Amino acid sequence: MPGSHAGNRAIIDVLSATATRPAVTYRYAGDRFILVEYGEMVLDLTTNFRIFGLNDALKKAGLDGLIETVPALRSMLLHYDSRRLPTRELVATLKKLEETVPAGENLNIPSRRVELPIAFGDRWTRADIERYVKYTRQDAPNIVDGHNIEYIARYNGLRNVQEVVDYVCATEWWNACIGFWPGLPFMFPLDPRYAIVTPKYNPTRPWTPEGAVGIGGPCVAIYPVESPGGYQLFGRTIPVFDLKQRNPAFRANPILLKPADRIQWVPVTDEQLESTRERVHAGTYRYTIVGYEALNVKSYLGFLEGIKPEVAAFQRRQAEAVKHVAIP
Amino acid sequence: MFEVLEGGIQTTVQDYPGRVGYLDLGTYPAGPMDHFAFRIANLLVGNPQGAPALEVTAGGLKARFHDSRAVAITGADMQPTLNGTPAPLWETFAVGPDDLLELKFVKGAGLRAYLAASGAFDVPEYMGSRATFTVGGFGGFEGRGLKKGDRVRLKPAGAPAGQVGRRLRTDRRPQHGTHWEIEAMRGPQADPDYLTAEDMDFFFSHPWKVDRNSNRMGVRLESHKWQWARKSGGVAGGHPSNILDNGYAVWTVNVSGDQPIILVADGPSLGGFICNATLIYASSWKVGQLMPGRDTIRFKEVTIDEATALAASIDEAISERSIERR
Repeated sequence: MPGSHAGNRAIIDVLSATATRPAVTYRYAGDRFILVEYGEMVLDLTTNFRIFGLNDALKKAGLDGLIETVPALRSMLLHYDSRRLPTRELVATLKKLEETVPAGENLNIPSRRVELPIAFGDRWTRADIERYVKYTRQDAPNIVDGHNIEYIARYNGLRNVQEVVDYVCATEWWNACIGFWPGLPFMFPLDPRYAIVTPKYNPTRPWTPEGAVGIGGPCVAIYPVESPGGYQLFGRTIPVFDLKQRNPAFRANPILLKPADRIQWVPVTDEQLESTRERVHAGTYRYTIVGYEALNVKSYLGFLEGIKPEVAAFQRRQAEAVKHVAIP
Repeated sequence: MFEVLEGGIQTTVQDYPGRVGYLDLGTYPAGPMDHFAFRIANLLVGNPQGAPALEVTAGGLKARFHDSRAVAITGADMQPTLNGTPAPLWETFAVGPDDLLELKFVKGAGLRAYLAASGAFDVPEYMGSRATFTVGGFGGFEGRGLKKGDRVRLKPAGAPAGQVGRRLRTDRRPQHGTHWEIEAMRGPQADPDYLTAEDMDFFFSHPWKVDRNSNRMGVRLESHKWQWARKSGGVAGGHPSNILDNGYAVWTVNVSGDQPIILVADGPSLGGFICNATLIYASSWKVGQLMPGRDTIRFKEVTIDEATALAASIDEAISERSIERR
């Protein structure tokens, strides 16, 4: 509760909101971690950008005793050695850093652009969805014609599967954080005119192929390995995790994506995807990663301002569509 | 060479502090569930505290050594024997070629034993660590628990004689019981904003039963009907335990719906449920010794200053000053 944390023993300190930044709450997470939260519990990419601003500032400050940071949607977890860096000192430094982190619109966030091929409605995800119908739930409303992609279209008021493809490829996807499983990205559309949403599976799906791409709520994820899952699937891509590190993209570690990456989807056929995947494993495929681009928040916010009516129009279309669609 | 004749329930190669520095890429640190016993075992045989050693869960390990080593076994009592003769706990002994070491299934208190050998186990480094991450299937020995027929290499070591008879002072040995008191700090998401004060009073006074379904990812406790301070998770989901996904501290108590789960070595790095309390560095080793389906925990609330003092005293305990000669 920003501003009224007296008596809240979980909260270390609070910075009230200013004209240029949301309130900041510092919470205990044991004696080796603290959680820094921004603003209220709302999903807002500009808050996520600020997390990366703080992350950058922290890296530059090179605090002795700070072990690692974990950026997430509206918060950042800090792992530190309280023997070298006492908690109070860390929080005092963080508060001071807030004065140096540029206000949202003056931020430039280092960001890589990553192009990934995707086969929409591919045969691999189709096979696991068919198994779900056979063994888990026969009458799942989120499965139409043996896949989730038509359901995604209906839930968002899109005309057909092709329009889902167009929407997913019309925007870059911002990787706000990675986690839950090694290398699993949580991605959000940078262009909200194409912000599709869906409810999750019920019950969850026991199988999902490695490389499957799905959406749950507003968030798109790539499954790094074969696993259970709850997101509505719409396609399959190339590996984003490779234990055996068979491709140069995995030389440093088996995880391809980083927080603050922007993903651009490039549609391909099942056959093209299969041969690309083979080249990934053979080590001959070169991932398309542009490393030098930065996201300029000011121009991004300007862009958002200009598309407001279109965003509102799509949201109305979605709200109308949801009325006629069953929830799993 | 360490030749595995029986792998037991789950025996893994671990190192300490594990695979640190990859939380932002979704990777929890792995490493020993009971870092106290693990580090002492290494100290006893003259290794660096964090050197690769074995974590034996619940017991059942049978193995043969192929050369001379100083060996120490710490943690839960699995009635270790060397060639059929009882071997000591918390004390270094020598093994030679063809010696047969056996750890039975744990009967009394505790769940995990640690086995360190001088020179240390030699497995490839993966992402900066030799710890086995059971969820991802990487690190350690082929990313998995040891099984019959595995031959694990050991690094060269000097003659064991110098280490033999080194033991942990009796007054420094941890007390394993079946009812545990585990120090924890309130937060990050507790009362009054997420749970009620009554919820937290209950949390810090109830003897929580450890669920059978516990492992290196999470130690599950029994479900509880929380009052909750909010009606729903709002934008993050229908249930009041839902929040927008955030990073999970290692050793935090995650309240997933109604069930508290202590997230441990191989846990998830990020998720969308509140964490109402977090174990401290000095108490975290205890979760490694909790017997699923039997033990109970009472969480004792401590402040950051108390946690810092306890951290200093456990660091002091894990040092040469705690070692004596028989």
